[in-house]
Amino acid sequence: MSRSRTDRFVQWSLGGLAVLSGGLVLLIVVFLLLGAWPTIQSGLLSHLLTDETWRPGSDRDPQFGLLPMLAASFLVTALSIGIAAPFGVAGAVFDRFYLPPGFRRWNHRLLELLAGVPSVVFGFWGLTVLVPAINRLHPPGQSLLAASLVLSLMILPTVALTSQAALRAVPESETLAAAGLGLGRARTIFSIALPAAKSGIGGGILLAVARAIGETMAVVMVCGNIAEFPSSLFDPVRPVTSTIALEMGYASADHKALLYTAGLILVLAVAALVGWLAFRGSKNVPASG
Amino acid sequence: MLNPLAAAPRRARRLDRAIAIAGGAASFSTLAVFGWIVWDLIRLGLPNLSWHFLTGEVETAGRSGGIGPVLVSTLLILLCCLAVAVPLGIGCAVWLSEFVRRGSRASRIVTGGVDLLASVPSIVFGLFGMTFFCQVLGLGFSILSGGLTLACMILPILVRTTLLALEGLPADLRPGAAALGLTRTTTLRQVLLPTALPGILVAITLGVGRALSETAALLFTSGYSTRWPDSLGESGRALSVHIYDLAMNIPNGSPNASASALVLLVLILLINLTATGLTERWTRHLSGTTS
Amino acid sequence: MSQLSVSRLSVRYGPVKALRDVSLEIPKGQITALVGPSGCGKSTLLHTLNRLTDLVDGCEVRGSVRLDDDLEITEATTDVLALRRHIGMVFQKPNPFPHSIRRNFEIPLREHGVSRANIPGIIERCLRDVGLWDEVSTRLDRSALQLSGGQQQRLCIARALALDPEVILFDEPCSALDPLASAVVEDHIAALRGRVTVVIVTHNLAQARRIADRLAVFWVRDGAGTIVETGPAANLFTDPTDPDAARYLSGERG
Ligand SMILES: Nc1ncnc2c1ncn2[C@@H]1O[C@H](COP(=O)(O)OP(=O)(O)OP(=O)(O)O)[C@@H](O)[C@H]1O
Ligand SMILES: [Mg+2]
Repeated sequence: MSRSRTDRFVQWSLGGLAVLSGGLVLLIVVFLLLGAWPTIQSGLLSHLLTDETWRPGSDRDPQFGLLPMLAASFLVTALSIGIAAPFGVAGAVFDRFYLPPGFRRWNHRLLELLAGVPSVVFGFWGLTVLVPAINRLHPPGQSLLAASLVLSLMILPTVALTSQAALRAVPESETLAAAGLGLGRARTIFSIALPAAKSGIGGGILLAVARAIGETMAVVMVCGNIAEFPSSLFDPVRPVTSTIALEMGYASADHKALLYTAGLILVLAVAALVGWLAFRGSKNVPASG
Repeated sequence: MLNPLAAAPRRARRLDRAIAIAGGAASFSTLAVFGWIVWDLIRLGLPNLSWHFLTGEVETAGRSGGIGPVLVSTLLILLCCLAVAVPLGIGCAVWLSEFVRRGSRASRIVTGGVDLLASVPSIVFGLFGMTFFCQVLGLGFSILSGGLTLACMILPILVRTTLLALEGLPADLRPGAAALGLTRTTTLRQVLLPTALPGILVAITLGVGRALSETAALLFTSGYSTRWPDSLGESGRALSVHIYDLAMNIPNGSPNASASALVLLVLILLINLTATGLTERWTRHLSGTTS
Repeated sequence: MSQLSVSRLSVRYGPVKALRDVSLEIPKGQITALVGPSGCGKSTLLHTLNRLTDLVDGCEVRGSVRLDDDLEITEATTDVLALRRHIGMVFQKPNPFPHSIRRNFEIPLREHGVSRANIPGIIERCLRDVGLWDEVSTRLDRSALQLSGGQQQRLCIARALALDPEVILFDEPCSALDPLASAVVEDHIAALRGRVTVVIVTHNLAQARRIADRLAVFWVRDGAGTIVETGPAANLFTDPTDPDAARYLSGERG
């Protein structure tokens, strides 16, 4: 084979691999659509929002109310971000402006290791340590609170690391200039560093939101899995991801189509978030984080 | 207000101290909670850990015995996953970095697709894998199905990290090679890929870490069997699935679940440390301080 | 006889005109220096000579460059891989492959079909040519990146020599080196006279004066680089005709 023919062969094969990689997400969406099609076709879609409860397997009176699950996903995500964001950002500020540089590397490394802890390990810990503790406080223990706490721990390293990166991306010259003007450290943080790092930190938090919406294992093990609207932090809930995980093993017919629909909703929600982030990033933010 | 300069620093100092305390507390409590988790896992898991636990059969649904077959299945799932994802991911990254212009439409479409893939929740990969690999392709609940599902999932990490490695190569390597009359293929095989190898190894290590920690995508693809696997077409239970099953479905499964969780945690720790070490070597490698 | 003859060459990068209507004869075995202010297209001309312009998207070359009065270099059908074997290049920043010194030779030599048995001999000959043999003969298997900048640049010259080129293009080969290393590299380039045709871009007029047989002065005219003066180096330095070139060569500001 001539040398340029080899080159062309390599180029086309790699191109093939690239198209396969780039097109895989399309294949997944197509499969979800195909799976969800019966729901759309048989008009079940409106039931998702109007039915009161979730009893998809029942023969006499199947109920397909997805709202409690959507609400649970929303609540768990919002609460976990509400916990993780302040800790992550405050920790990052401390890391950037107060921690001696020697420790900074270790802090960074530890957080990276923590970011890699498997979700099932968090779930297991939540189930064996946190849930009993909450149970003593207010039974049953498996609850919105437990799920939010475990999830917040899971996403905390992400928030902390992205915030750190955003703060580190603020040029030293700017903070030095602030110091040169006689601004104290606190002023520098609030008036210079945080505004400059705002979009990077926001991006990191949104990324964490995306992760939280899609997280399954850390949640399914501690949330109690009851598909009803919670009335307090101590009530069990069941987010969308848990529903899919618990039911896809045995679901059939309409029920199964509903799970695909739920999956599709998840994908769309997360993709919209991530897509918007990327769009925002390419539009006006100088690459940070 | 005789001396405004004297008053302001005092308030500023107090605010400064408040931030330091709040930030320090946040940092410390983050690490402390994680320390607590790790300590709990060690406390609960270590007593059940032994050589026999690592190599023994799974008995009474996991309550007793060990995790030998589970570890073997996990390894096989991982190998299947890598066998598919590594060529695909590296090929894609090489194409993106060496054969198309950055910012061209083809490159934007492919990276866009890969980034979207990265955003797909793992449970959806499970749903897809169960339908596509298990049912449509007829592979059933098998190690192969699980591996392929994971391959889809770790593909974006591989592509992105390999791409970073290739783009981080010194820019003058390519014209240098071209000026010596090397073909693109030779440049790639003899110059670029060997130089980027540590970076590519980081990509693979990160992929392994991600695959090993995954549970949701495996729940309904690789199956639950706890026998020693004979072939890739058989069902086999991954370590993470084993932890989930013991904790959720098996009464009194908790002690062995703790030990399994500890094993998983240690494995992940080792893998991530490897990745960090490789990254540092990669940086030094490019600056020429090692051979 | 001219080794390379450039005639009516124009090069553009998309909308940017880099060279307009450049003609130049490059005699065999001599050292031709290209000088002129930044951005006037000197590197562009070098890259056209061995078709490195192919690597730049949107780069458009018009006109003719002939090698030995017979091969048309700018022709699309020209075998660029073979061409680059005949016309080697050394860059401003030393760019050895981040492999061992030996691999730096093996990769291009194997690519051009040199048998393994001949390679050690070629390595030794070329390293001796650049005065590097005694310094590195005991550590051929260590990373080339461990060498000093000057050694790396000499390695790159040796690597280019290994392919037995008729022409070597140098793009500011000394400007990333300290004065001592720069002098050593310069000596080795000068020593190539007679054996290899050398085309060298330099910002160092003293260097051009020391080593060049012929000189071409580049200038930007009407938004594109062109050659304003060319001839034997000795004549040009003493007696330039173009006013811009005269000021430039005498060290005044333009
Ligand atoms: N890859 C490229 N893409 C677009 N424009 C380019 C490219 N390379 C060079 N140019 C433009 O072409 C013109 C000539 O550049 P060239 O590098 O040939 O100049 P030069 O004489 O070598 O300058 P210097 O002495 O600084 O190396 C410049 O205006 C430059 O901006
Ligand atoms: Mg130049």
